[in-house]
Amino acid sequence: MTDTPNETSESQVPSLEVGALLPRLDRGEKVLLLDVRNDDEFETWKIEPHRPVETLHVPYFDFIEDAEASIAKVPKGRDVVVLCAQGGSSELVAGMLQEAGISSANVKGGMIAYGLYLEPVRVPLEAEAAARYELWQVNRRGKACLSYVVVSGEEAVVVDPSRHVEWYQGFVAERGARIVRVLDTHVHADHVSGGPGLARALSVPYFVAAGEGFELKQPVTPLADGETIRLGGATGVSIEVRVLSTPGHTPGSTSFLVDRRHLLTGDTLFVASVGRPDLGGHVVEWGHALFDTLKRRLADLPGETRVLPAHYGGIGEISAEGVVWSSLADLRRTVPEMQIATADAFVAAVRGAVKEPPKAYAEIIQVNLGAAASEERISEWELGKNQCAASAKKAAGA
Amino acid sequence: MALKKLDVRGAKCPIPIVKAKKEMDTMAPGDQLEVTSTDPGSVPDFQGWVKTAKHALLKEQRMEKDEAGKDLYIHLLERT
Repeated sequence: MTDTPNETSESQVPSLEVGALLPRLDRGEKVLLLDVRNDDEFETWKIEPHRPVETLHVPYFDFIEDAEASIAKVPKGRDVVVLCAQGGSSELVAGMLQEAGISSANVKGGMIAYGLYLEPVRVPLEAEAAARYELWQVNRRGKACLSYVVVSGEEAVVVDPSRHVEWYQGFVAERGARIVRVLDTHVHADHVSGGPGLARALSVPYFVAAGEGFELKQPVTPLADGETIRLGGATGVSIEVRVLSTPGHTPGSTSFLVDRRHLLTGDTLFVASVGRPDLGGHVVEWGHALFDTLKRRLADLPGETRVLPAHYGGIGEISAEGVVWSSLADLRRTVPEMQIATADAFVAAVRGAVKEPPKAYAEIIQVNLGAAASEERISEWELGKNQCAASAKKAAGA
Repeated sequence: MALKKLDVRGAKCPIPIVKAKKEMDTMAPGDQLEVTSTDPGSVPDFQGWVKTAKHALLKEQRMEKDEAGKDLYIHLLERT
């Protein structure tokens, strides 16, 4: 009987899925978030709801060392939500709080689950376009990574999927369509792509352009610059997705122009910055290519073209509709790097602004080129937010 | 001065520290406890715990490999 009270109390701890917690925090519900990770983990990566959330940080080992003093730090009469890295320590702490009469719930799976959680946001389209297709921006909130699902009639393409591939299969099936092609805008350096795995699971073509200096170790169905993919199937409705080669962030970077108006730019152009060209050790060469892409290749596109990138830097970049997007005209006017007139000054500016590279980026690039890695390793590499923009404040700083 | 060993391979947080604390509570001042963990998160967590721990010092942390080549994280604690 001596060991059981602990176990009983743990099993009584209500658990909360990330997908249930985030909308509550986004609405500004008055919960108290108790983060029980160690100091470093807490400082470098925080949960980021659309509205600020009152957060208390007391590491779980403080609760183990001195339960009474630690519990006393948690105000009574509040709804407490306890969060840790993987959900184990927060469950222990939530149990201790429950026993002390403080209403608390455990965030199931902790920051790992937060890092994997995908939130689909429907991009508003004009009525004429909405009759022909749906465009979904899938926001991986924990990493500020954006992927896309385009559905027209019974066919869909997925662009830049994260490695949670079953999610995309289920999501597209719910819309009564099937995925006919999987596209990556580039060889990602900050997260492991779900592209090859998703294409393999469905036996559909996969596209990524690695570009010079990279050896792709997995099957790819090439697409040429300017080529068009038609979606729709036998339903009478259809749209076109045009392939645009936009090198710079990587030599193979590609953008996809959906229905002539939505440009999925990957890491070429964000809504507050441009992609960093320094992750391959050729910052001058790639920087010049990026300048050429931004100033010349994208110059032909009309200003009303909507840019939808693969990342965002903070919640301030999310529009009122919940979408991370902007018009090309606005970006030409507001993005600092877009104001620079010469290639040399552009390269100097992006070089000067260079931040820490993403964690384990060299290894992640290798996996995205086709090398094998264990789930455990990938999970460890992917902790934390992205670092893909050339400028803007450090992603970790809230 | 005794040296005790605690094997928490395969256990994730909070188990390594829960068990280490429990073990340390039974030890005499000067006794040492060597904890073997497979959780890389245990490295910063033991460092964090001893900052506030009343009767534990962290003498050493090192990495080794087991027979299968898997990383092991070894923490040597002393009861004060």
